[in-house]
Amino acid sequence: MFNRAVLHLDLDAFFASVEVLKNSSLAGKPVIIGGTGGRGVVASCSYEARRFGVHSAMPVSMALRLCPDAVVIRGDMEDYSRYSRLITDIIAEEAPLFEKASIDEFYLDLTGMDKYFGCWKWSGELRQRIMRESGLPVSLGLSVNKLVSKVGAGEAKPNGALLVENGTEKDFLAPLPVSKIPGAGKETARKLARMGVRKVQTLAEIPPRLLQREFGKHGLGLWKKANAIDNSPVVPYHEAKSISAERTFQTDTTDMRFLHDKLNSLVSQLAFQLRKQQKLTSCVTVKIRYTDFSTYTRQMTIPYTANDRPLLAHARSLFDKLFDRRQLIRLIGVRFSGLVHGSPQLNLFEDNTEEIRLLKSMDEIRRRFGSKAIVRGAG
Amino acid sequence: MKFSVASSELLKHLSIANGAISSNPVLPILDDFLFTLENNQLTIAASDLETSITTKLEVNPDKKASELKVAIPARILLDTLKALPDQPITFTVDEQTFAISITSAYGKYRLAGEDGQDFPELPEATDADSVSIPANVLNKAITKTLFATSTDDLRPSLTGVYFNIDFSNLTFVATDAHKLVRYTFSGIPSELSASFIVPKKSLNQLKNVVTTGDDDGSVLMAVNKANAFFTFGNTTLACRLVDARYPDYNAVIPVNNPNHLTIKRTDLLNSMRRIAIYANKTTNQVIFDIAPNSLTVSAQDLDFSNEAAEQLICNYDGPAFTIAFNGKFLIEMLSVLDSDEVRFELNDSSKAGILVPVDEPDDENILMLVMPVMLGT
Repeated sequence: MFNRAVLHLDLDAFFASVEVLKNSSLAGKPVIIGGTGGRGVVASCSYEARRFGVHSAMPVSMALRLCPDAVVIRGDMEDYSRYSRLITDIIAEEAPLFEKASIDEFYLDLTGMDKYFGCWKWSGELRQRIMRESGLPVSLGLSVNKLVSKVGAGEAKPNGALLVENGTEKDFLAPLPVSKIPGAGKETARKLARMGVRKVQTLAEIPPRLLQREFGKHGLGLWKKANAIDNSPVVPYHEAKSISAERTFQTDTTDMRFLHDKLNSLVSQLAFQLRKQQKLTSCVTVKIRYTDFSTYTRQMTIPYTANDRPLLAHARSLFDKLFDRRQLIRLIGVRFSGLVHGSPQLNLFEDNTEEIRLLKSMDEIRRRFGSKAIVRGAG
Repeated sequence: MKFSVASSELLKHLSIANGAISSNPVLPILDDFLFTLENNQLTIAASDLETSITTKLEVNPDKKASELKVAIPARILLDTLKALPDQPITFTVDEQTFAISITSAYGKYRLAGEDGQDFPELPEATDADSVSIPANVLNKAITKTLFATSTDDLRPSLTGVYFNIDFSNLTFVATDAHKLVRYTFSGIPSELSASFIVPKKSLNQLKNVVTTGDDDGSVLMAVNKANAFFTFGNTTLACRLVDARYPDYNAVIPVNNPNHLTIKRTDLLNSMRRIAIYANKTTNQVIFDIAPNSLTVSAQDLDFSNEAAEQLICNYDGPAFTIAFNGKFLIEMLSVLDSDEVRFELNDSSKAGILVPVDEPDDENILMLVMPVMLGT
């Protein structure tokens, strides 16, 4: 019996599975979804490809060296969103309370359903229904909180289901390597390994004060996670705190005209998103990654706006302040944060009629033909 | 040297001068009042380098004293006088050490002063042209324009009120690029043609100086290249002008907005105050749905699922359309107008709207402009 029951649903190799579904000749073959250009990275790959050591975020060129026979597909985000929506609709129909954590992950709060339905039985039936109706493999984990359920679903993969009974959470986590804990990335795992900590059990037994000293606030969180403590609620809807976009270039460059051009297109695309969602931003951040991977960001607070002109000007001045090395640039990014609902306040001296009409017409074109249909050139 | 003065009279003058003392002065001596005694006239001055206030009063010098300048810590002197019942008090200043002792009926208070020669020099009205303005007009003009000034230091010209004297017309303009107020008073006898920008802070201080007197007086305004001087009774406020070019505001005021909507000012203002409670607290957006003889004011805050709408009766016969504004701006604008009815002169949802009173005194003219919020297409 569960006091609190949280179910985690995770679609296996989501992008790759969708591609296989679309083209059955790919079934059983190593499939890689990712950029096909010289610098593309793996966004997702099938389990057949994983067997060769391919994993997401790896450069495609490297993946092809590991697995020369893999089929590389550029992928179609619209298709994936459509399948994701299909599954969301099924869950929305069945579940009392759910959270869409990402395009292929869901948390469901099943607290109180044990008595009448049996959480485990109900979960299994939901999984069967999703697989039957979408044709995509799903893994699930069921336990008392989000953390253990997520780890459980990860262990159940591919295409499996795992129940972590009430009271056995710590025992379940104990033998796993620390890297299985969500939020413990490569850096944390390396640092823990240097401390002699490899298994979750060891981590759980470390005094929390020691972890706090080593990792700061994050350390206490790690200790809690290792002890299967996670009180975070299943939140049905997240308000986006910020929106961002970045672009890695085919080849590193210092061509200012090109860089300004890219910056403008990032800013105007994001600004369009803001306007589409009827939001305003009050903070602009610009990011530069140099060829040696050293990354710098700079931000400034501005009066609330969603209009291209001020945002372009602020982003440009941030970029010019940030770019102070005579070094090739690999990536630039832009982030808008401090979002609120609203429409931009027009300026008496700067927003003339032509500017507003231009903006409205451009937005109209973008709405009809996609956000990249029209962009500003470097001014 | 020694002089005596009535404590309440001194306190009154000190309180006026105190308006110029900033909470964190650039120089330590700016925490002080400068006392200058000449014969039986005491001049009290205070300054924050931007604005300075000087005020004069009569005192009884003990003997024929030579001219004296001493700086006295403002806080301690003010607090002492506030705590004393009205009575004659005597100041004794040591001309070598600038030590001050004050004698009241209750006892003696000593405090350390500083050499008045170290006090920064105050601006003098040299090469200044002057014009006399009724005090109530100046006060009204400040009240009606000050709220529209900007706080953005990146555009210094907008942080003050623009004064334009054109013979008998005196025009005050303030804008922060989202709203604009133009107040014109005609009927001052003047041979002067000049324009300058007075900082917002100085005008706030001036408002306090001018209202402390009676309303029938007049203010002598003098101006030279760098400073403006406002003299009211025996008090003078001098301030440094904003050294920037004011934008061409006349070019952005639309002249023939076709859609005129007339409404009772207090009705709209009260409605706006209620609706604004339901608007988003950072953007304060309210929506006007305008239809023949009907104005629907609404607002919503999606983050809290708050929303409100009210329908008002108005006089309008143009095409129906929707326009959105920052509700805070409208409340400020409607609050400073006096007439019973106001008229909106609008064009479309993305162009400047004009708000004017329906009737106003013959010698006054006020125009307010507000930029809308851009609604999604």
